[in-house]
Amino acid sequence: MKIQISYTGRSYQTASLLPAEITLADGATVDDALRLLTEALSDDRQLPASCLVAVSGEHIGTLTGYINRPLQDRDELILIAPVAGG
Amino acid sequence: MQQQREASTVTSTLTNAASDLRPVNASHQESQGISLPELTAAELERYDRQIGPGVLSVEGQQRLKASTALITRVGGMGGPAALMLTMSGVGRVIIAHGGELISPDLNRQVLGSERVLGKPRAADFGAYLRTKNQFVEVEAIGHEPDDAEAAELAARCDIILACPPTFEERLRLNRAAVYAGIPFIDAAQWGMTGTLIVVKPGETACLECLYPEPPPFEELFPVVGAISSATGSLAALEAIKILSGTGDPLWGKMLTYDGYRGNFTTVQLQRRDSCACCSSL
Repeated sequence: MKIQISYTGRSYQTASLLPAEITLADGATVDDALRLLTEALSDDRQLPASCLVAVSGEHIGTLTGYINRPLQDRDELILIAPVAGG
Repeated sequence: MQQQREASTVTSTLTNAASDLRPVNASHQESQGISLPELTAAELERYDRQIGPGVLSVEGQQRLKASTALITRVGGMGGPAALMLTMSGVGRVIIAHGGELISPDLNRQVLGSERVLGKPRAADFGAYLRTKNQFVEVEAIGHEPDDAEAAELAARCDIILACPPTFEERLRLNRAAVYAGIPFIDAAQWGMTGTLIVVKPGETACLECLYPEPPPFEELFPVVGAISSATGSLAALEAIKILSGTGDPLWGKMLTYDGYRGNFTTVQLQRRDSCACCSSL
């Protein structure tokens, strides 16, 4: 199944290293998708731990703690790095 | 708001408001038997373009007049937010921002000017806001509120807009708003990206639900002023909707605009059962 990836909030350089879409086996979960994305990034470009995680518009936690739910074909995995600029 | 109400010649009551259009604190107002301030002919003329179909009702405009908004800080995003709230007719606008204006601020701080460089911001920004709308009271505080002052300010406000450059300040203001039971809008930016979070205490996720501890963030972040103004204006629009009881506020949502790539994203936020700030509400 195809999962769309959206990473925003901070660091366009990191975002440019992530694929816009990944392919996972049926039954794959958020864990599987994040593992694939982590492997795509070098150690100095990893996503921040407090990065917010959402699936198709529904917030499920941050990278340090999220609900590991199954994904469905065409889901959008959204990652939003925390932003506090004023 | 109390001063506004006492000073007005009052008259309209809240009894005609449709329940689904009431601002979050309307029931509180009603329980206190508070009525709305009348709008003068000069005020009706001033707000003529924002009263009517698709915008505010006369009663919504009265609600704005009866409201007090706290905006802290008033730099890149808080400045345009304070400007729009003042021009829209929020009865009392309180701004808080310490320090002096420096040259790098002028790529985005619309309340500033070359003339203010090297001077304290708050007093001058407050004076500028007063030139924009004679019908609004503007209170300028020349420092960032600590926990106690944030709580005191929240107790006399109807909404808080948080626009500071640190998560510590944002979480402090979120806590003050949640404890006071008033809406809270978090507006933040980085680079060409802006985010908005709109909190209804006790009903939606609060900022601390998302970030129990302040995430690391650089205070000298990169930013293009256009995203600051856009995000600040959207924060003001949400505040105007909430205070006037107009439209559908972004309750419990995070809106992100990634201007670098031109993408809008909206996420429905979930409350955290163990949130130290709001889980008991």
